[in-house]
Amino acid sequence: MKKIVFALTIAFTAFTFNSCGENTDVVDSGTYQGNVKEVEADKTEIYVETADGKVLELYFTEGTVLTQNGETVEFEVLKEGQKVEVEVEKKGKRLDPLKVTIME
Amino acid sequence: MLCALRPELLHPLSVHLPLAALLLAAVIFSWGVFFKNPLALRMGGILTIIGTVGAWFSIYTGDLADGIVSRTLCDPTVLKTHENYALTATWIFSMASLLILLDLFKILAYLRYWANILVVLLLISGAGLLIYVGSLGSELVYEQAAGVSIPSEDCSEFD
Repeated sequence: MKKIVFALTIAFTAFTFNSCGENTDVVDSGTYQGNVKEVEADKTEIYVETADGKVLELYFTEGTVLTQNGETVEFEVLKEGQKVEVEVEKKGKRLDPLKVTIME
Repeated sequence: MLCALRPELLHPLSVHLPLAALLLAAVIFSWGVFFKNPLALRMGGILTIIGTVGAWFSIYTGDLADGIVSRTLCDPTVLKTHENYALTATWIFSMASLLILLDLFKILAYLRYWANILVVLLLISGAGLLIYVGSLGSELVYEQAAGVSIPSEDCSEFD
């Protein structure tokens, strides 16, 4: 019984520390390509994972332009897994998305 | 009324009860285990459960605030660290609460001593994390003005 409780505690602790939040990266201003890792529609926020494994957390601003096939589209079009190109401006350590292009 | 207008203000309103309850719980429960004081164990247990429920509510209100204040911060990585460690601390306190509830329903009768030691370890590590989370929260407010409405220089809004 003791061994079972101990094993469960270790397993639960390992799960807990693995599941607590997501780390994000700060990059320089510029244009990056990657895949949409997560969409938080209620916050108009997306996480984009670039080819080199960096995760960019992007909160859309009033000035963010989202396009697909050359046309401006609504935020709701964004889905997890889509390939996107993002143009970001670094302010302090905050990344403001200027332009997001859905590439598929 | 103010919170209805500015949902980000619910977070500072909701964090202080669990913060106080859980830090006190760590001290009182540890006292109860090391000095074999049943009253302290009971009080520490109740505070842990109250604090854990409050902590999950604070996670919810923090998530509400996140979408609003993140757009104005100069260093949102501090907020991300604040969120991640708050979530970790809340899971740690949840594990402690679970052990306390199992003990309350006599499910851990054979292991009571070791379960209490484990609860002490969880509460102390959780309390350490909580202090760090609190310091990050204060950094967000006092260094980056998270959720702070700055009045005009002549304070005309208050006339």
